[in-house]
Amino acid sequence: MFKILKSLSKSLGGGKTAEAKPQAAPAPKAGGTLLDKVNKGSKNAPAAQAGPPKSAEELCGITAKMAKDEIRAQLKILFRRYNRSASSLDAKTRAEADKMLDAIVEVREKHFGEI
Amino acid sequence: MAEHVGIDLGTTLSGLAYLKPDGNPEIVPNADGERLTHSVVFFDSHEDVKLVGSAARDGGEPDRTIFQIKRYMDDPEHLVEIDGKKWTPAEISALILSKLKRDCSKICGDITEVVITVPANFNELARKSTIAAAQMAGMKVKRLVNEPTAAAVYYAHSQGVKGRILVFDLGGGTLDTTILDVEGENIKILTSEGARHLGGSNFDDLLLDAYAEQYKKQTGASLYSDERHRRRVLQATEDAKKMLSKLQRVNDTVANDQNSGIARIDLTRESFEKIIRNMLTRTVFLVEQALDSAKLKPSDIDHVVLVGGSTRIPKVKTILEKMFGKTPKSCGNVDECVALGAALFAKKSAKIQEVCNASYGTLAMVYNAKTKEEKLMNSIVIPKNTPIPCSRTQVYQTSEDNERVIEVDITQGEDEDAKFIDVIGRITLEVPPNRPKGCEIAVTFSYDENQRVRALVVDKQSGRSKEVAVSYKGAGVLSDEELKRRSAHLRTMRIE
Repeated sequence: MFKILKSLSKSLGGGKTAEAKPQAAPAPKAGGTLLDKVNKGSKNAPAAQAGPPKSAEELCGITAKMAKDEIRAQLKILFRRYNRSASSLDAKTRAEADKMLDAIVEVREKHFGEI
Repeated sequence: MAEHVGIDLGTTLSGLAYLKPDGNPEIVPNADGERLTHSVVFFDSHEDVKLVGSAARDGGEPDRTIFQIKRYMDDPEHLVEIDGKKWTPAEISALILSKLKRDCSKICGDITEVVITVPANFNELARKSTIAAAQMAGMKVKRLVNEPTAAAVYYAHSQGVKGRILVFDLGGGTLDTTILDVEGENIKILTSEGARHLGGSNFDDLLLDAYAEQYKKQTGASLYSDERHRRRVLQATEDAKKMLSKLQRVNDTVANDQNSGIARIDLTRESFEKIIRNMLTRTVFLVEQALDSAKLKPSDIDHVVLVGGSTRIPKVKTILEKMFGKTPKSCGNVDECVALGAALFAKKSAKIQEVCNASYGTLAMVYNAKTKEEKLMNSIVIPKNTPIPCSRTQVYQTSEDNERVIEVDITQGEDEDAKFIDVIGRITLEVPPNRPKGCEIAVTFSYDENQRVRALVVDKQSGRSKEVAVSYKGAGVLSDEELKRRSAHLRTMRIE
């Protein structure tokens, strides 16, 4: 595994398909509007997903085959991620994070009992 | 002049403490005789006066009363408009700090330099806004210190303990969990984790929803129709919450302001705990996150220390006792220990080993040779909780042939997924032409004792480099001139 520097503007404008993508993007603001573009349609954006409402387990990516330890590990990763997003300045991101935190708590209570 | 002064600028309550000649800190009451001042500001419409504290909380008009401004310290778009003037969160906070400075100076002497506490996970902009607020109030900020660190300093000072301590700080607006080692006067922070929007006021809001639901059920009407009445009921729910920390059951009556009748509220401690259970489970997650970050188990913790008014809720203690197998302790008044610790910190900061509050890194396209996948990721150079001062370097490669300008985004955040981090700056470095892709670029981040971060980018082939101080300079940060102007204006105001 090796790492190649890739700024956001180059991610959006560079590469083989540069002609089809926006030209030099403006410098990103804190909070990153460019990030929204980069991650548009990201698999990790639960609230952005269309279709029928998902269960808490589906939102958290928990499947019936997962062992307790795997569920616990997955919930920890998700809590760390969405707890941070819950402080976002963007109201939509905050609302999505809050929904995910509710789902994380629900899954925990189902699999590990109430506190 | 008061030499070592600490201020806890809280979401709901603020306090000021100073270090007495005997080396012990003491809370200084405000001019209203209260040891702590409600973080509420009221702009009177009849007189040119700003009320701060309980007078502002109890009597004001909702449109002219500002609550919990701390929650918006990092929001450049949050402006409070009163009589045509737009106030920033830093300016509103400056009014609270001015009240503390003016009132307390009469007792402990002139206050010119202070240590101010902030939540552990306050971001760069929120920290800058806090410093700006103090400057506008006529005080120089000697240091910002994380709230749980300040509380731990006071706990260690007052209890004379040693060992590994977990501080659980559940205040009005935030939860902070910090783990630290104490050996005599030396304190080493291991980790701090925080949750914004998780505190007593969230519990009040949930209780308010329960009151409104009961009212609707019993009378068929809405409990409140305007902000003024909502505030009154919210005050009642806060009182009920506090009583339930002492009693098992509380009976209350509520009415709306439309003569729709009275509803009887019968609230038990058990039902209250059920209402806030989701929030309490989140607190458990955060404690587990802190333990994971420090690579510790609950049994590795020698003392669990409670800080913040919301830790008076019995269920909080029960949960922590169950988790750690020991009774949590509090250091005196849980509302005051942060300010008291800040005053101690003002003198003892050299003996306290702190850690990076966040991870810093850059964005990189990472290729996985096994899966042949490439992914834009947050590549961390300095991980959160690295003891400071520190310096770390990571070497990357350029992505294109004949690349003339190297752009390095500076990221803040722990997640490897770029969606869940903040890009807080960018370094641009011009490099020689006609080079193939794959040239090595070294990115170094340095973090000093004052939580200042510097980034250095070096093109290894040409030796060209650029170094910048990483600091948020975006919207919401005032220029020095503007800060001076607003500070001078604030000094002319009547603040009671």
